[in-house]
Amino acid sequence: MSPAGGAAGAGADGTGAAAAGAAEITLVFDQATVDLDALQRAAYAVAAEMTADIRACGADYACTLFPRTHDTSEEELKHRFRAEVNDQILRARIAKETEPLRNLVFALAFSQTGLVEADAEGPA
Amino acid sequence: MKLGRAATELPAQGWQLLPLRFHRIDADSVVLTSLVGEHVLVTPGELSAVVDGTCADQDLLARLRAAHLIQVPGERLPAELLAIKLRTRMRRLPDSTGLHIFVVTLRCEHTCRYCQVSRQSAAKNEFDMTEQTARRALELAFRSPSPQLKIEFQGGEPLLNFPLVRWITAEANRMNTEHGKDLAFVIATNLALLDEEILGFCAENQVHISTSLDGPQDLHNGNRRRPGRDSWQQAVAGIRRVQERLGADRVSALMTTTEASLGRAAEVIDTYAGLGLRGVFLRPVSPYGFALRGRGGANYDVGRWLEFYAAGLDRIVELNRAGVPMVEMYASIIAKKMLTNSDPGYVDLTSPAGIGIGALVYNYDGDIYASDEGRMLAEMGDRTFRLGSVHDSSYADIMLSDALLNPLTESITLSAPMCATCAFEPYCGADPVFHHATMGDFTGHKALSAFCRRNMGVFTVLLRKMRDDPYFRDLMWRWAQ
Repeated sequence: MSPAGGAAGAGADGTGAAAAGAAEITLVFDQATVDLDALQRAAYAVAAEMTADIRACGADYACTLFPRTHDTSEEELKHRFRAEVNDQILRARIAKETEPLRNLVFALAFSQTGLVEADAEGPA
Repeated sequence: MKLGRAATELPAQGWQLLPLRFHRIDADSVVLTSLVGEHVLVTPGELSAVVDGTCADQDLLARLRAAHLIQVPGERLPAELLAIKLRTRMRRLPDSTGLHIFVVTLRCEHTCRYCQVSRQSAAKNEFDMTEQTARRALELAFRSPSPQLKIEFQGGEPLLNFPLVRWITAEANRMNTEHGKDLAFVIATNLALLDEEILGFCAENQVHISTSLDGPQDLHNGNRRRPGRDSWQQAVAGIRRVQERLGADRVSALMTTTEASLGRAAEVIDTYAGLGLRGVFLRPVSPYGFALRGRGGANYDVGRWLEFYAAGLDRIVELNRAGVPMVEMYASIIAKKMLTNSDPGYVDLTSPAGIGIGALVYNYDGDIYASDEGRMLAEMGDRTFRLGSVHDSSYADIMLSDALLNPLTESITLSAPMCATCAFEPYCGADPVFHHATMGDFTGHKALSAFCRRNMGVFTVLLRKMRDDPYFRDLMWRWAQ
């Protein structure tokens, strides 16, 4: 998996399922490779351009996209949503890999402030 | 001792990621930022290679390591340095509150189209602050732990109640003999009422003057109306008098962008340069007060404002190249956050938000607000950010009030949707007042937030310009100092 390249991979059905209607666009993602969290975060991030309805369908997630305007083509909106999903997957991967270090940094930053001792002694 | 390349060369899979966030600033570049905002621009392909552990570009790996974006497994120093830098960036928090705004009157002789404070007629004295109210406000201000205390006089037009400005200054100086704080005074004035007595007072008390200048005469007078239609002439004459009497560094000006400003950024900058002003703050209209009316000047979207901002920045760079020093103040605040470990504490660009922690506002009637914008909302009938009253609230009542703590805790960017994973989070802020005013909650939906679009747009403009123009990158380094 190489989502950082912005390719259509990451389990997305590159062609998308058939559009359900003139104002609806449906994309299908494989549940084995795409987390629901990534889809939900992507839906949040693109909310200015489109809203999304996400449903579990067997082994897939079906995302129905509803564009807010008709200025952008269906293909462009699909690319936009898939790219956002891929970025969210990459963010989740980085966050998971670096979580112990992140916790270490915050612990180091805020564990040596003297506040604990001050609390024990009462207000200054 | 010079280290050879082999000593620092990293093999494939020979590094591990440190906590980082990324944002695509265009098709060619992705910005990676560390926990404390140090950044490196990479290509989309390089991002994949770094995350996958296959990057072989030793120069890039060295830059990523220097910016604490990767480390050699087992290293301890990067985490310790990040922790120190994180604490440095947050060191202002225990020293709240540095800025205390005294609204000495709501009266004003201007009728600015975008006025955010719902001014009152110049004849209505019931909108003046009293000495009793001011004394209580000063007592609260001196309770702040901040070693620096800046008292800013605002209105309305504060010079319409100049006797109280004089009284508060004298009383604050007297009280400070006991407290020993680094005390400073600012008058935010349109300068129309400036006279020799006021100039003498400012000279004696080292008062800084902050005024409004929207640009060329027709633009300024169209926005800022007063009897005689001479607001620009009064402001310009006042700026020159302050420069001559007090010194060039004792007066600064702010501009507000209305739809009439769009397309005229270079003229605005040139007006400032012509007056010898060395800084300009390119600001959009805020969504409060009279600005929300149809003729309030706010009829433009974020995209058009960003075009205006970028054009203004271009002109400022041209002037600097030609030997005329000029700073764009918003960019200089961001430069500090992007390129150094110090946080300038600008109220709109901090998390936790700057309300209450960075500034407190004492209204003419004694009501206390968490920010100037919170006061503006109250003038519109929404008292969400009223923290109490100088007449019956203690310092603890104010600083521990739900009206302050709820918006602070609900809007922290490290836990807000989209902000938490945004590469620009170390540069940005929470601004719960804006989101409450425009979206009805303190956090706001960031994908729909004009605050988010505007600031992400500014960060992107600045990063692209630093990438594409070495001169601009040097300029940002100078502004950051």
